[in-house]
Amino acid sequence: MANLNIDSVKDRTFDAIVIGSGMSGGWAAKELTDKGLKTLILERGRDVKHIKDYPTTNLNPWEFPHHGTLPNDVQEANPIANRCYAFHEDAAHFFVKDKEHPYVQAKPFDWIRGYQVGGKSLLWARQTQRWSDFDFEGPARDGFAVDWPIRYKDIAPWYSYVEKFAGISGNKDGIPELPDGEFLPAFPLNDVEDYFSKHVKSKYKNRHVISARCAHLSKPNQIHLDQGRTQCQNRTLCQRGCPFGGYFSANATTIPWALKSGHATLRPFSVVHSIIYDEKLGKATGVRVVDTNTKETIEYFAKIIFVNAAALNTNLILLNSTSNRFPNGLGNDSGVLGKYVAFHNYSARISGEYDGYKEYTTEGRNPAGGGYIPRFRNVYKQETDFLRGYACGFYAGRYQQHSEEGVGESLKENLVNGELSPWQVGSHMMGETIPKESNFVTLDKSLKDQWGIPQLKISVDYDDNDEKMKKDFVEQLTEMFTSAGFTNIKASTNHQAPGLDIHEMGGVRMGNDPKTSILNKWNQVHTCKNVFVTDGASMTSTSCQNPSLTYMALTARAADYAITESKKGNI
Amino acid sequence: MNRRIAIRNMALLLGGTVLLPSCLNSKGNKVVQLKHITLDDDQQTLIAEIAETIIPKTSTPGAKDLKLPEFVLLMLDDCYNKKDQLQILEGLTAFNNLVKSKFNKDFANLSIKERESFLNDFESSAKQAQKNSKSTDSINAFYWAIKQQTVFAYTTSQYFMTKQIVYELVPGRYNVHVPVKKLKSA
Repeated sequence: MANLNIDSVKDRTFDAIVIGSGMSGGWAAKELTDKGLKTLILERGRDVKHIKDYPTTNLNPWEFPHHGTLPNDVQEANPIANRCYAFHEDAAHFFVKDKEHPYVQAKPFDWIRGYQVGGKSLLWARQTQRWSDFDFEGPARDGFAVDWPIRYKDIAPWYSYVEKFAGISGNKDGIPELPDGEFLPAFPLNDVEDYFSKHVKSKYKNRHVISARCAHLSKPNQIHLDQGRTQCQNRTLCQRGCPFGGYFSANATTIPWALKSGHATLRPFSVVHSIIYDEKLGKATGVRVVDTNTKETIEYFAKIIFVNAAALNTNLILLNSTSNRFPNGLGNDSGVLGKYVAFHNYSARISGEYDGYKEYTTEGRNPAGGGYIPRFRNVYKQETDFLRGYACGFYAGRYQQHSEEGVGESLKENLVNGELSPWQVGSHMMGETIPKESNFVTLDKSLKDQWGIPQLKISVDYDDNDEKMKKDFVEQLTEMFTSAGFTNIKASTNHQAPGLDIHEMGGVRMGNDPKTSILNKWNQVHTCKNVFVTDGASMTSTSCQNPSLTYMALTARAADYAITESKKGNI
Repeated sequence: MNRRIAIRNMALLLGGTVLLPSCLNSKGNKVVQLKHITLDDDQQTLIAEIAETIIPKTSTPGAKDLKLPEFVLLMLDDCYNKKDQLQILEGLTAFNNLVKSKFNKDFANLSIKERESFLNDFESSAKQAQKNSKSTDSINAFYWAIKQQTVFAYTTSQYFMTKQIVYELVPGRYNVHVPVKKLKSA
């Protein structure tokens, strides 16, 4: 007889609802359930269970039908996803296919998405750096966007909190602009990376080449073993999902942790249409979900709602959450919702060769990818004709080179007996872009997806500042490479569309003033206090660090605040 | 179950395209319809013989032993766009004609020595021609596709990656400052 109640409001009522199960949603779910809140986790895509749902993870190259190459049909059907560096035969099943989830490009924008439990946390490049006050004070100092309502001291303990649980490897480098964290041992720089590091240090006062800090278990602690994860095995096949749990993903870490608490309900195939706002209560009461299989609309209710749908989809949900009180989208009295979207500029790289260290090479693989150069431009003062700056990756390596000329027995021998190449070096830029009102997303007035939800229309572009910064990267890195004695230096710039960096941010920005921002310093909607946005949408500016670690810290901090406020009866 | 899926599953049960029923072309040759391209027996033989010439059986297995021609066909069928496939098939005919005009017989009927020197000569004159002009004709499109896919098939085959080199799925280490000498003697 209990079944009679299955559809009752009571059964659809939770203490908290988390929209999204990826990088930040996983953290919201973990934090809320840790504190005993009965939490519904909504995921628009399918479930991906750790290990069990990583079908390619243990395949050797020859075990893939095309040995790793994606068939032409798949590539042609997915021009957007196909531009992503990780869209290959081993991981294509974790990417959104272009036709299934259309959107409108008012300007070219490569929107790379992962609709499944874990989201893009399965696919990310795992680079994790803290922000400092040089980043949080950026907009106020340089006069763009609005002032961040928080400073480093507000978030520092939360960086520590998430780092300990996630497992971040790195060195304590003592660089003020890139604060140290709670690190597991770093993956070392190799000989040429280390040589370049020392060279740069001797030549430039404020430029550093450090071991890239990354979310890999170089040496797991008890807390990681408790999660069922073990040491990173240097496979660097992370995009397939890791059977060791060697890197941080929501699938290996936060989601199973939340489910283990007994307080979480995970509902895949549930795309959120909108957040339900109650005019009388003056707050949100729940969310409207469309079951992606049955296309049935279902309402779920909760006191606390976390929106972690990934930056642009979070914008979409809020824009689509209209009511008499909020005709232009939830919390959008200011009119800034969907605006001031920004991203990272990855449109230049440089390569070269080094003649030294011929007697040495490396063995195995480096999951950190090599070195990291923190931003050195305009840190302490404005010194260039563009605002802000860029961080850089830096890597050196040798590979086996073979002659593939000719046919027959000699070719067979050549393919086995290659020789090591000289050291190849490379660097790519990761530039801060300036959030502007003219870079925005809106809902298309007529086009809808197959679940009746308006399509997102994206209008985001580079500007003159980005072009100047790109030029500066090429000049500075050419100079650094040249003075280090690297040869055959080649810079290449491209015009990749925004989005391909997969670091889109903003649109639901934090700020002190409700007239110019949507969220307060707790990632709480100024005018709808029980709704929290803690993914990339909340970012006031982008700085140039890889952003995921900051989303994790903001999420844990906001969840703690939400629980405290809820206990006080304030939300 | 929807019909399209049912047909696809049946194809999988039958072992994919290789076992799909074949029919005869106007010359009386068996024609195999792959997913995107159609090849008759002679054309498949030519590709297999070129692959075997590129990676011959020596004291170690050759292309045919390792089923590389099948993989090359799969790649030609799945991993090239229509335009490239048309050019490659056109090039196949041109290649065949070139061999016939030179030797007055099919590639498959040449001695191993003749095949090897023909392909080596073809490669050197193609390299020379490339230096002079950038245009690639269909015969080059054909040959270099077969060459590239045969080498790719070989170097990513289980045999090569386990017996000739050691591919490590799980290295479990990243060592820096490793003497090259030590690496070679290992």
